Formats: sequence, C-alpha cells, structure tokens
Amino acid sequence: MKRSGAAFWIGAAAFLAVAFVMTKVIGNQYPFFAGYVILQFIALAVAWSILGGYAGYVNFGTSAFYGVGVYASVFLVKAFGAPLPVQILTAAAIGALMGFALGLLTLRMQGIFFSIATIALTIIIETVVTNWRYVGGAAGIQIQRPPVTAPFDNYVQLLFFIQAVLVVLAVAISRYIQNSWIGRGLQALKDDELAAECSGVPTLRLKLLACVISGALLCAVGAPGAMYLQYADPSSAFNLNYSVSTLAMSLIGGTAHWIGPVIGAIVLSTTQQLLTVTISSEVNVLVLGVMLVLFVVGAPEGIIGLARRIFHRSNEGRE
Amino acid sequence: MTKKVTEAGSISRRRLLTTASAGAALAASPLGINLLQAQGAPIRIGMSMPQTGGLAGGGKPSLLGIEIWRDDVNAKGGLLGRKVELVVYDDKSSASETPAIYSKLIDVDKVDLLFAPYATVPTAPIMPLVKQRGLLLIGNFSFQVNSKVGHDMWFNNAPWGPADSWAASFLDIGQKAGGKSMALLSADQEFAQNLAKTAREVAGKRSLPVVFDQSYPPNTVEFSSIIRGLKATKPDIVYVASYPPDSAGILRAVNEIGIGGSVKLFGGGMVGLQFGSVMESMGSLLNGVVNYNSWLPEKSMYFDGTKAFFEKYTKRAVEAKVDPLGYYLAPFGYASGQLVEQAIKATNSLDQKGLAKYLRENTHQTIVGPIAFSPDGERKETAVLQAQFRGVTDKNIEQFRSSGKQVILFPDNLKSGELVAPFEAART
Repeated sequence: MKRSGAAFWIGAAAFLAVAFVMTKVIGNQYPFFAGYVILQFIALAVAWSILGGYAGYVNFGTSAFYGVGVYASVFLVKAFGAPLPVQILTAAAIGALMGFALGLLTLRMQGIFFSIATIALTIIIETVVTNWRYVGGAAGIQIQRPPVTAPFDNYVQLLFFIQAVLVVLAVAISRYIQNSWIGRGLQALKDDELAAECSGVPTLRLKLLACVISGALLCAVGAPGAMYLQYADPSSAFNLNYSVSTLAMSLIGGTAHWIGPVIGAIVLSTTQQLLTVTISSEVNVLVLGVMLVLFVVGAPEGIIGLARRIFHRSNEGRE
Repeated sequence: MTKKVTEAGSISRRRLLTTASAGAALAASPLGINLLQAQGAPIRIGMSMPQTGGLAGGGKPSLLGIEIWRDDVNAKGGLLGRKVELVVYDDKSSASETPAIYSKLIDVDKVDLLFAPYATVPTAPIMPLVKQRGLLLIGNFSFQVNSKVGHDMWFNNAPWGPADSWAASFLDIGQKAGGKSMALLSADQEFAQNLAKTAREVAGKRSLPVVFDQSYPPNTVEFSSIIRGLKATKPDIVYVASYPPDSAGILRAVNEIGIGGSVKLFGGGMVGLQFGSVMESMGSLLNGVVNYNSWLPEKSMYFDGTKAFFEKYTKRAVEAKVDPLGYYLAPFGYASGQLVEQAIKATNSLDQKGLAKYLRENTHQTIVGPIAFSPDGERKETAVLQAQFRGVTDKNIEQFRSSGKQVILFPDNLKSGELVAPFEAART
C-alpha cells in the first residue's frame, strides 16, 4: 500500500513536470488548446465519479456545476478583476455549497429521481444566469484575459498547466476516497443503502460528503473555462454535452477504480478532438455514439472491467 | 532493390546542369513565374463552420456559398497563380470548440487566411486570439463581436451596419405609418437580446413609449397568453426578436387570437423567416409581416454575378441537401470570398496587414452589392432589408423565387414597394 502511494505521487509529480516542460519546449499553441480540453474532461470525469461511481448516484448536473464555475469566474473578473487562483477557489467553495444543498435536497431521492432532480438543477441555474444581465444574460459576455505572469509566456499555457494541477488534485482526492473508510462506506451504500445504514454506515453523512467534494471539484474545473474561451454564454456554459460526455467517459473507463474515469476521459476526449479535426462532420457524432454502444454492450464495467476480465482469464489459463 | 532505387533516382552532373539551366530560364520568363506559382502550394483559407448542432441550418448554405466562390476563382486560374483551397472543420455550433480549431488552423495547418464561422457564439471566443496574433478575419453574420475587442483587421460580411440601424429602420417604417407606441417581444437568447437592447435604446432616444416589453425562455412553444397580453396594451408597432421555432409559434398564436386593429407594423427581427423550409411551412401566415432579411429576389438586388451565383447554388443545394433558396447566407459566403479575392489581386500579396488596409480603405463590388467598412469592421451603412410578405400561399416553396412576395421597404436605394398597413389589413 505504501509503495503504491509513493509510486502514485512520483507519477503525479512526473506528470506535472512533463506538463510544465511542454509549456517551455513546445512553441506550437494547438497542443495546449486541445490538451486543455482533454485535461478538463479528465478532471470532470474523475470528480463526477466520486458521487456517480463510488456512491452510484448518477448525477446529470455536471453542466450545472461546470457552468456555475464559469460564471463564478465571470462575475469575479467583472466585479473585482480577481486573479485566476481566487476564481478557482471561490468556484470550489460555491460548488461545495451547491453540492451540500443538492445532497440535502435530493439524497433522500434515489435512482432515476435523483438523476431527474440534477437535470432540473441545470435548467433552473441556466434560467437564472440567462436572466442575470450583470454577467451578460442571454447575450453572453466577452472578457479580457489579464497579462500572463512568469514563468509562462502565454495564457493558454498557464491554463493548461493549471488544469493539469486540477487533474492531479481530483485524482489524488478520488484515490484517497477509494482507499479510505469513505470509499468503503460509499461502496456499501451503493450495493444496498438500507443494509449499509443498518450495519452502522453513516449513509447520509457520506453521501453529503461525496456531493460536496464532487461539486467543489466540478465547479473548480469550470472556473478556468471562462478565461480559456474569453467568452461566456449560458447555452455554451450549461451545455448538456458536459453532463453526457462526463458520464460517458466514466462509464467507458469504468467506475470501480479511480483510474477508470481517467482512461475513459483520455480515450473519449482525445477521440473527440481528433475527430473534430479529421472527419469533422456529422460522422463524428455517429462514431462517438457507436463507441458508446459498443462499450455498453461489450464492456459493461468499462475498460477497467474488461482489462480485469482478460487478466483473470489469462491467469486461469496459466494455472 | 535499394540499389535500383538509388540508380533511378540519381542524377548525373551534366543532367543536373541541363535541368537547372532550363529551370532558371523558365523561372525568369513571366510565363515561367505563373507556371511555377500555379504549381506551387495552394492558397489555403481556414475556417470552422457549424455543420452539426443548432446553427448547422445556417452553416451549411453559408459554406456552400464559399465553396462556389472557390470553384469559380479556381476556374479562372486561382489567385496569384495559385489554386484556392478551403480547410474546414465542424465546430458543432459550440463556442467551446472554436479556440482549439482556430489554433490548429493557425499553428498546425498554417493556413494563409482565416474566415470566421457562421454566427456570433462560435466567433466570439476566437476574436481575442486573432487580435493577439495580428491576423485578418472575415466575419460571417456575427453581431457586434468586435465592439469590445477592437480588432482592426476584422471585416464582417453581414449587412448589419451600425448596431442601432436595425431597430432604427424598423421603427422608421412604423413611425412613418403613424405608429406612436411600441411593444417588444424577445427570446431570451443571444441574438434576440442584442436586437431587443438596441430597440429599447432607439425607442428611448425617440421618446417612443414601450407599452409592452417581455422576454420569454428559449423553449417556449405556446404563445397565446403572451400574445393576449400584448394585444391588450394596444401597441402601434410590434417588434419581435425571435428564433426559428418560436417565430413559427408566435405567428400561429397571432393567427388564432389576432393582434388588434391598432398594430400598423409587426415583425422586425424574427429569425427563421429567411429559411426556405420555414417559409414553406408557414405559408399564408407570413402575409403582412415585415421582417429583416439580407437578400431577396427583387430587381434591385441583382448585381454583377448574382444571377449566375444563384443558378449554381440552386443546382448544388439539391446535392448538398441544404436550404433550396439560400438567400439569407449563401451569397454572403460568396461575397466573403470576393472580398479577399479583390484585396489579394489589388495588393498582389497575402500580407495580412496589407489586405486589411485595402479592405478598410476601399469599396468592394460583390454579388450582394457594394461593401465598404467602418473602422470597427462592420458595414459603413446598413444594408439590412426590411421586407413585407405579400400574397404568400400555402405549401409552395417555389413562389419565393419570384419577386413581389417579399416587398423591400428599406433601405431606400433598394426599395421595391410601399408598406401595406395596418397589419390586419395586410394579412388578407
């Protein structure tokens, strides 16, 4: 256990080092634009999986949290000219509060009722923002980036690195939860909530905790989105596509282990980015749909489940 | 195997000399220059275009217009002796896709020129990028995206002109017809809200009372209660800023409930009534509505090349399965091409600053009429048409190809008829 912990942190440090070196070595901006989107989806999928994967509460409200993150930044920039770290921290705090409220309101609902409530949350918040003129309302708002600070030469490189840090943070939290009593408790309530409660698992407290952590991370990931686009409009920021893609990434990767959403997000968002600049037509939507169907049918437990099955089979063959 | 290839590929010293001197002689002659350049790399124009998602209905005909220009210019030998090639990616109608796409176009594909995607939302995020890189960008029907960015190499192909001219022209027509009050109905979406905002400002400047001002959520389908509320305020002018599904819903509700005898002018900013399929399905419900447009088959709208363009478009629209009429966007896509074509020919280079200077300082002849730009990159004068639907029958798309179905009331130099008012009288 300890050895794997050391390996994880060495891996995380190496990942951040590579991301940082990339910003110094690569002059071409495109890898950072595309890489930012991929990293953003990794962080979203990992954050989603804390509630959706470990606790089994399918949250369709990713776009609500993401959009609130974006608009928290827009508001802070417009009102106070707040710097990026403040934007991210404030978004995380708002996300935690939102997660807590969602937990209180809807965790007594289960299954499909919970999912529907999260969709409703997206619609309600989007409507509020659409009518909030200060942050641009329905017409959207253009915002200017501040000048970039050292050691980065370009703001997109800075955003790319920040998103890499958020990925490490999300993965570290997810990994901690999985390996701690929280993860075991969530796993128990996922299997049978009543039985878990009867066995002394504090289900409501755990669910609230999962909601708060997941919400804070989802919002924090959305916060740099405002500076990435330098533009925000409700239909883009609260686009249901974020919810659907995040869910698909987690399911394709597998939700039983923290690495599942990471793999799923890398596979799916890289494919999306590649298809956008290769096939680039209706066909790319079809390709994604076919991929999803294939995985749901062929690997219902995601890539992780598939890998485990193959690994077990090859072990059995040896014996 | 390796040896054979080496032998075939090797060039003797004498042969090299002969080839080189022949090449030099050819390159020195004017014909040689043309030949070499024609054989050189094509001029690549990069863009994203909404081909899926909510804006695809506009993106596809717009792209077809640009493709027809590319084929025409290549048939004439290209530009600077080089063929023109388009590099197009689908942005899925989303603002979040375009920054990465334009970065790829600039940094990886290394295109020579950039066109913006159709509409405001996908265009807004790329404005700071092109400004930072000092690149020329030809806009495509976005609305006031440059007002805050202030990029001096931005040129919008749309006929909008100054921000308030749209509302001003509509209210002019209404006030000339004796209108003394206005009702405003707008969708809670980007474009509609921009229109509504300018309408309020113009009404304020003219001390025209706004007796009804309501925004409705984007997915509204049932408008009868809103129309009843509007009717009760007895306005003279009704300015509607709506999107395709709601435009249809509003007209149906007006048809059922009526709008009252006081209304002299109805319409203004209804998106959707420019598209063939919507016009066909609405049929006679359109009669009397005065709405904005960009191009219409009235006599005053034919310029050099317009007729030939629509002959080609009509044929190719069938294969491409896009709007069979294509009045709204396609000719402006072609005009975008004409703008850069004229600038490149005049400056005889692809230097972005030089092209921008030329575009800013001259008037350009296109199939949608002469285009001149103000310092913010929008048209100097508005060329947004306000036209009234007349004598439209049900379920017949072909009727819109003939003149007289949409009579142009504004601008004066393109006018093809007078307003029929009040609205209820014009509906029959």
